[in-house]
Amino acid sequence: MDPQPEASTSTGVIKSGDNVLVRSPNGDIRAVKADKDTNISVGRQGSFHANEIIGHPFGFTYEIFSKKELKIIPPKTLNEVEDTDATNELINDGQFVQPLTITEITALKQAGVHADEIIKQQIAAHANYELKTEYSKEKYRKRKEAKYSKSFTTIEPTLFSVCEYWFNKDKNRIRDIRNDTLAQMLNSANIRPGGRYLAVDDASGLVVAGMLSRMGGEGRVITICDTDSPPAYPVMGIMNLSKDEQKIMSSLNWATAEEDYVPVVPPSELSPEEIRSDRHKSRLRKRKHINDALTETREELFSGRFDALIVATDYDPYEVLTTLKPYLSGSANIVVQSPYVSILADLVNKLRGPGFLAPRLIENWHRRYQVLPGRTHPTMNTSGTGGAYMHVMKVYVSFHISKCRAPTACRYDDPDAQAAESRRVHSRKKVKVGEPAQTSVAPETKVVVQVEDPSQTTGAAPEESASTAMDIIVSTDPEVSNTLASASTGIELEEEAEVAQVAMAVDETS
Amino acid sequence: MWSTGPNIADGDVIIVWLTRDLIQPLTVEAGKDFNSRFGNYKHDDFIGTPYGSKVGARSGRGFIHLLRPTPELWTMALPHRTQILYHADISFITSWLNIKKGSKVIEAGTGSGSFSHSVIRSIGSTGHLWSYEFHEARETKAREEFARHGFSDIVTLTHRNVCKDGFTVADTVDALFLDIPAPWDAIEHAKLALRKDCITRICCFSPCIEQVLRTVTALNEHGFTDITMYETLQRPHDVARIPAPKSIAATTEKLKIAEVKREERRLQQIADNENRRQPKPKSPNKRKRADEEDDEGQEDGGKKAKTHKAEDTAELMLNGGEQTNEGSVSVSRVIPEVRGHTSYLTFATLMPIPPVRGPPAAEATPAETPDGGNAQTASGS
Repeated sequence: MDPQPEASTSTGVIKSGDNVLVRSPNGDIRAVKADKDTNISVGRQGSFHANEIIGHPFGFTYEIFSKKELKIIPPKTLNEVEDTDATNELINDGQFVQPLTITEITALKQAGVHADEIIKQQIAAHANYELKTEYSKEKYRKRKEAKYSKSFTTIEPTLFSVCEYWFNKDKNRIRDIRNDTLAQMLNSANIRPGGRYLAVDDASGLVVAGMLSRMGGEGRVITICDTDSPPAYPVMGIMNLSKDEQKIMSSLNWATAEEDYVPVVPPSELSPEEIRSDRHKSRLRKRKHINDALTETREELFSGRFDALIVATDYDPYEVLTTLKPYLSGSANIVVQSPYVSILADLVNKLRGPGFLAPRLIENWHRRYQVLPGRTHPTMNTSGTGGAYMHVMKVYVSFHISKCRAPTACRYDDPDAQAAESRRVHSRKKVKVGEPAQTSVAPETKVVVQVEDPSQTTGAAPEESASTAMDIIVSTDPEVSNTLASASTGIELEEEAEVAQVAMAVDETS
Repeated sequence: MWSTGPNIADGDVIIVWLTRDLIQPLTVEAGKDFNSRFGNYKHDDFIGTPYGSKVGARSGRGFIHLLRPTPELWTMALPHRTQILYHADISFITSWLNIKKGSKVIEAGTGSGSFSHSVIRSIGSTGHLWSYEFHEARETKAREEFARHGFSDIVTLTHRNVCKDGFTVADTVDALFLDIPAPWDAIEHAKLALRKDCITRICCFSPCIEQVLRTVTALNEHGFTDITMYETLQRPHDVARIPAPKSIAATTEKLKIAEVKREERRLQQIADNENRRQPKPKSPNKRKRADEEDDEGQEDGGKKAKTHKAEDTAELMLNGGEQTNEGSVSVSRVIPEVRGHTSYLTFATLMPIPPVRGPPAAEATPAETPDGGNAQTASGS
C-alpha cells in the first residue's frame, strides 16, 4: 500500500451552522441551515430537530418519525422489473378505479399510519392495479411514495449540487449558467490552487463560488462589482466555504478599479485632540483598516500579472475586457459568459485584432439519462440552453523578428506589459491613504531598427538573409507603429507596411 | 508544476501555437533549434521572452506564439497514445466528482494523460492522484511526462490491470474515474479504494450503451446509489461579420422603375417595327425578308427585353446593395461538423457508513448497508 497523505480538506460532515440541501422524495430541493438546537422544516414531510443530523456525513436519507426521532433509511437501489404480458389494452382513462377517498387517506395519515401501509391500502383498493404492466406498477408505487413518504435526503452543497439547485430554482439569477458550462468556464480559465484571478460576477456569485471552492484558500481572487458596498454573492452563501477559503477574495467596484480615481473615504487619522472617546478611537481604527485594505487591493490590481479573468456580466464585455486586460499576464486566459450567443459573437469579432489569440465561442449541448434496468433513455425534459461562453488568450501585441544574439530591449514591447512593469516599481513605494492614485507612467518605447536590405525582411528565404543582423519590431498597435515609423529612417514606409501585411496574413492563417 | 514565472526560462515546458490546428508542446533547451513550416527559431530566442509573446521567425517570414502550458492546451497539443478525453467531458467529470484542492483521486487508465493533467492542476500540491495503466509502454511514457512536468510528487503511477489486481490504496480516495474497456470488472475494487467516512463519487467513461448497462448493473450490485448518466457535447460556433440584411424598400422602387422602362422599351420596339414596315413597299423580295425580319425582330425584341431586364436587375442589386448596406452585423452559427459523441458518463455515489450513535433504531438496518450491497435491495419496495 502507498503511504497515505493527510486527510482531505472537505470533511463531508454536517456541522452546526452549515447549509444543507434537502431533497424531498418528489425530487424538490430546498436549502436549509443546520443551526444547533433549532428546528428545520422540510415542507410537507414535516420538521425535525437539527441536532439529529449534525455530526452525520452528508448523503443519508432519513424518515421523520417525530421531531426528535429520525431514522436513517438505507439508500434505494435499482430494481430489475420483470417483463410480463400485461399491456394497457384494457385500461381506459377516466374510469373510476380508486374507491379510497381523499378524506379517508387524510384520516389515515392523521392517525399516524405509515406511508407504506397507506400505499398498500390504495393498491388493494385500486380496481385496475393488476392489469398494469410491472413498469407501470412501479411507477405508480413511486408516485405514491413521493406523496406520502415522510423522508428526506441531505445533500452536500458542492459546486455541482449548488449550481443545479440554482439552475432549477431561478436560472435567470445565475445567467443561465448550467453545470457543464460552469465547469468548462473554470477549467478554461485554468483555475487552480495558488492562481491569481480577476472576476466580474453578476451571476449571483456562482462563478466566484466556483473559483473559491476549487482554490481551497490558496491564491488570490479580486472581483470587480457595480455596487459601492461589498457585493452580495448569495450563491456563495450556501456553499459552506470556510473563512480561510473566503479570505483570498477582495472586491473593488468599477470606480475604485480605475487607476486615476481617488476614492472618497472618510478620514481615519485625526490629531489626538480630535479624538473624542475610546469608542471613537476604535471606530477610526476600523475605518483605517478598511481604507488600507482598499488601497492595498487597488495596488494589487494595478500591479497586474493576473493569470485569468472570468466575466459574467450584463455590462459591455468588450469594455470590461479592455479595462482589465492590462492587469493580465501574457498567455492569460479570458473567459466571458453570456446567456446570449449574439453578444459573444459580437465580442469575438471585436477581439480579432492584435493582443488576443484564438477567440472561440462555445455553446453546450447536454442531457441526462434515466438509467433504470430495461428502461434507459434520455430524460423527457431537458434544458435547452446552459449559456454560452467565449475563451481567448492574451498575447503581446508586437512581435519580434529575432536576429539578435541575445534577448534585447524589444522584449517588453507591449504597452500593457510596460504599464504593469512601471506599476510594479511604483507599488514598492509606500502609498499613503488619500494620496492620488498613481497613474501609470508612459514608458519609453525603444525601437531598434537596423536593416541593411529591406527586401529581406519581407519574404526572403532563411538562407538568403542569414548573414544580416537586424532587430525589427512590427506592431499593429498604432502608438508603437508611429514610433516605429519615426525611427525607421532606413526603411521606406511602404516596405514597412508590407512587413505588417505579411504579419497580418500569417496571423489570419493562424 | 509548470512554470508560473512571467518569462520563459531554460528547461521550461511551453506550448508553441502555430495555428488553431497545430499546437505543439516544447521543452526549451538552450542551444536547440525549433523548425516548422512557419519558420525557423532558436530556443535561445525564447529564453527570457514573456509568456504570451509572438515571436517572428529568423527568416522574417511567419511567426509563432509562445504560451504557458495549461491542461486545456496540453489536451490540444499532447502526443496521442490513445483516444483521449476532451475539454467538455473532463470539465463535467471534474465538477460532478467534486474534484478540487486537496482531493484524493484515482484514475484508470492513464492513457495519454489528458485527464490526469487536468486533475493534477485542480487538486494542487495538497491533493493526490493515483493513476493506473495496464499498457507498459504507455505507462513508461506517462511517467516520463509527469516527471518532465514536475508532477511526480502529486501523482503515483502504477503499471497494473485494475480489473484483475485492484488498486493500491484502500479507504482513501474521494473520487474515482474509470476509463477502461470493462469498468464493471473494477467496481468491487473501486468500492474498497473509496473512503467510507463521507460521500464518495465514481465516474465510468464508456462509449457504448451496452457498456453503460453492464456498468450500471455492477454499480447497483455493489451498493452504489444515485446512479445517473450524462452526455455532454460542445457546439463550437463560427463567428463572422456580414453586411446587414438589405431592406426590400429600395429594391421595390427599382423594380417599379424597371417595369416602367421595360414597358417603354416594348412600346418603342413596336413603334420601330411599324416604322420599318411602312416605307419599304418596293421590292417583294425585300418585303418578304422584312416580314421574316419582323417575326424574328419581335423574337429578338423579346430576347433583348429579357437581357435588359437581367442587366437591370443586376444593376439594381448592386445599387440596392450599396444603398442599404449600412453597417454590418455579427453572426454566428454552429460549425458544420461537430463531435457528435464521445462517451456516456455514468456517475454514482457511495454512501458513508452511518455513524454509531443516536437512537438504537437508527443503527439496526443501516449497519449492514455499506458492505452487504444485497441487503439494500430489500428497501426497494
